[in-house]
Amino acid sequence: MSEFLLEILAEEIPAGVLSQARNDLLRGLADALAAERIDGTFFAHSTSRRLVLFSRDLPEAQEDHEVEAIGPSVKVAYDAEGRPTRAAEGFARGQGVAVEALRVVATPKGEYVSVRKVVEGRFTSEILGEVVPTVVAKMSFPRMMRWGDGRDVWIRPVHSVVCLLDGLVVPMTLFGIESGRTTFGHRTLAPGRIVVVGVDDYLAKLRAAHVEPDYGVRRRALLEKAEALASEAGCTPVEDVALLDSLAHLVEWPGLVRGSFEAGYLELPEEILVTAMREHQKVLPTRDAAGALAPHFLAVADHVGDPMGHIVRGNEWVLNARFADARFFWDEDGRARLEERVPRLARLSFQEKLGDTLRKAERVEALSARLAADLGLEASAHEAARAARLARADLVTDMVREFPDLQGVVGGLYARRDGESETVCRAVYDHYRPAGVDDALPGEPVGRVVALADRLDTLAGFFALGLVPTGSRDPYALRRAALAVVRILLEGGHRLELPVAITAARRLHEVSGASEEEVVSTLHPFLLERLRFLLERRGHRHDEIEAVLTTSCPDVTDAAERVAAVSRVRRQPDFGALAASFKRVQNILVQAGVASGGEIDPALMSDDAERQLAGDFFQARGILDELIASRRYDEALSVMASLGPVLDRFFVDVMVLVEDEAVRRNRLSLLAAMRDQFFRVARLSEIQD
Amino acid sequence: MDFQTLILKLSEYWASRGCILEQPYDTEVGAGTMHPATFLRVLGPEPWRCAYVQPSRRPADGRYGENPFRLVKHYQFQVVIKPSPADIQDLYVDSLRAIGIEPAEHDLRFEEDNWESPTLGAWGVGWQVLLDGMEITQFTYFQQAGGIDLAPITAEITYGLERLTMFLTRTRNVMDIEWAPGVPYGEVRKQDEFEVSKYGFEVADTDLLRQLFERLEAESGRCLASGLVVPAYETALKCSHAFNLLDARGAVSATERVGVIKRVRDLAVGCAKAWVAARESLGHPLLPKETPIPEAAEAGNGEA
Repeated sequence: MSEFLLEILAEEIPAGVLSQARNDLLRGLADALAAERIDGTFFAHSTSRRLVLFSRDLPEAQEDHEVEAIGPSVKVAYDAEGRPTRAAEGFARGQGVAVEALRVVATPKGEYVSVRKVVEGRFTSEILGEVVPTVVAKMSFPRMMRWGDGRDVWIRPVHSVVCLLDGLVVPMTLFGIESGRTTFGHRTLAPGRIVVVGVDDYLAKLRAAHVEPDYGVRRRALLEKAEALASEAGCTPVEDVALLDSLAHLVEWPGLVRGSFEAGYLELPEEILVTAMREHQKVLPTRDAAGALAPHFLAVADHVGDPMGHIVRGNEWVLNARFADARFFWDEDGRARLEERVPRLARLSFQEKLGDTLRKAERVEALSARLAADLGLEASAHEAARAARLARADLVTDMVREFPDLQGVVGGLYARRDGESETVCRAVYDHYRPAGVDDALPGEPVGRVVALADRLDTLAGFFALGLVPTGSRDPYALRRAALAVVRILLEGGHRLELPVAITAARRLHEVSGASEEEVVSTLHPFLLERLRFLLERRGHRHDEIEAVLTTSCPDVTDAAERVAAVSRVRRQPDFGALAASFKRVQNILVQAGVASGGEIDPALMSDDAERQLAGDFFQARGILDELIASRRYDEALSVMASLGPVLDRFFVDVMVLVEDEAVRRNRLSLLAAMRDQFFRVARLSEIQD
Repeated sequence: MDFQTLILKLSEYWASRGCILEQPYDTEVGAGTMHPATFLRVLGPEPWRCAYVQPSRRPADGRYGENPFRLVKHYQFQVVIKPSPADIQDLYVDSLRAIGIEPAEHDLRFEEDNWESPTLGAWGVGWQVLLDGMEITQFTYFQQAGGIDLAPITAEITYGLERLTMFLTRTRNVMDIEWAPGVPYGEVRKQDEFEVSKYGFEVADTDLLRQLFERLEAESGRCLASGLVVPAYETALKCSHAFNLLDARGAVSATERVGVIKRVRDLAVGCAKAWVAARESLGHPLLPKETPIPEAAEAGNGEA
């Protein structure tokens, strides 16, 4: 077993790519070696300046292996007397064996001469020397760069390459750098050279030089220190997985310090303080025992301590400065009410052809009032419109220019200061939600109405312009907007006729382009695709979803209820039989080209089974009308399932496609009537066993 | 450490590392990058090592001298070295020692921060350098300028001088840092901050600025047509400043903005091409005679 070590020391690699880079390097090298028949167990580490890969169980060399070379056919290789021809001799010479060593093998094309040779395995070191530079140079990153003479492209300039196999340098050149056994310690704490002979030696010397190569160890250490330091000050760190992930990537040594800010800043809204800490300064906020924000924070430091106190004081100075800045903006922005800022939105583009942000706000205002009424929130229509009008006004404040992530939040806080109603404030505050598939919805109905109107306006406008996402290209994040629409309706339990709402949204756009009908015909299915995605996430089976989405689905909440009902009722004993029978119903109707049912004449019924099916169906039809109207889909499906045995008997006893045209049409009409009634809930024929 | 001592020490340090000390450019610019000693010199194969202070004007950042951190005009210390040497980060860390910062006593981090200037058709990759949580430097490897893919690559180091002085002296208000011992920054600058803010936000004649923009744009084109690269570039910078003033006045609509930025970029791109051609026709005088011209890198490889 051989021990392998690779370290690439570079200038600081962006935190956001390190995990991926570590995995890509590991996978890339493991695969490339496996292709050379060298297998091993690999481990990868990373710091802000290093990618590290090692293995302790590589073979010293490839196994020797046998190869077979096929030569000319036997007919060509030997003459009538069985003596080798010149062709055979030539082949043997080419393979470096005596002609006597040739053997005959049977192949699908006939008998051929062949030779088997043992190829000696190459040394792993030699293969590594070829494979490592290729794998590293082929790594791809979101934004690559050149440096120096501009010849090489990678994520950051590379400074040294350690590549050892069993303590011996594997020779190679990477970005013009010769591999060796020398690396360097921490940039400021132990910048000297480190000469290494193996994996354990490397790890130990690196740690002694204040570099912790293991990301997991650094992350755990940061978390432990955060908790310990916070508890010394009687508080707890705010849990923030993403920030901690990123901090552990930003350093080579997991140092952490606790600092404090002036308690007076706690008067500022918590959202602003927390954003300044997390987003701008990348420090962890803390909370006191009562859950209130505490005037302490935890800052990562690529350092073993804080010998002179500079690190704490520096971080405190910066954070206090940030807060002073925020207070300045808070006060300055207070000079103009949100209402007064709305006209200034004319300076902000929304989309070139869809006009500026003022127009956007006005459209959303009108659409919000309309949707509030459609959603049965007439009483809130005025507040929804008011919130929609003010919703984007914070884009022309200093605070949002400084804290873009707080758009909406700042508007909500300013609306409160302006004395707007609490409902309006909250709606402004979270109308940008949900930001993604796991983000929470706006907390209250009015906020949801505004959020809905905002997204539908965007979608209708872009679809009118034909800017429909294709494949992975979605530069305007329209899928996210569509997902928000569906989630708000679905999770809020709101019922909305989408085609009607889309038409209203399209009408508010002055831009020429696709007509209302055209936008409905593209945007409605686009929204249903998001519904499909969400239903799959809820664990519904593909056929259940398909059975409902292939029916008319103007209302996504209703469609989701139907899917849920199918999903529950399908487990009932009669249901499978019904679904199977309905495949037959559907096939016959399609085959006979029956689009919809015609008159059903009981007088034309000659068979008991036929009469029973008609009788039972007529009885069920009225019940189903009521159940469907009151959206009692479980019961509706059970009633349908109860008709399964009768339908089965019908198919056993009755021939549908008989000669007599009147009888045939009558039977088809009965089946069509059943189909049309049943498919109001779901296309049962789509359900698989 | 006072403001001018900081400038002196940085100048001394980078001069000792082989940089020529250029001087501030005498046309309004938004950043040290727009100085021809950066924007034009990053182009082509000739080596270049240069440092200078550049007063940089951003009319929209004006706060009438009232905000403790924001200024219309602030001062940048700019270093450009081409090709970027392998030890550029070490050189930078040593520059901190030169201004009294012992790195081992501090938390020093290089966090990804890429740079892009739509008006210059330029972008680069690099970091913001954080010292104890404070951003003290922008560090950029220029990848493209004037729409031209660069090789060799220039390393650009930009220190924000006011911020750095404030941080080193733990001063809360920029007006309170010392320009020279006993002379506060505010005494030197406060009145003009107030006036240029007021001018930019309230007084600037937008009609005049629009006319200036149009005529300077045409003039820049005329210079280029006459083969005068530097005058063409200077005129483009004036154009850009007129645009910044209009923008601060709120006189540029969103739709207009994109178009105007493109017009300035077209000028910058024209100047960059003309500069490359001019240096070539001069035989690249700064290129050591024995050094072969490196082959240009393949284009368009930066944004995978």
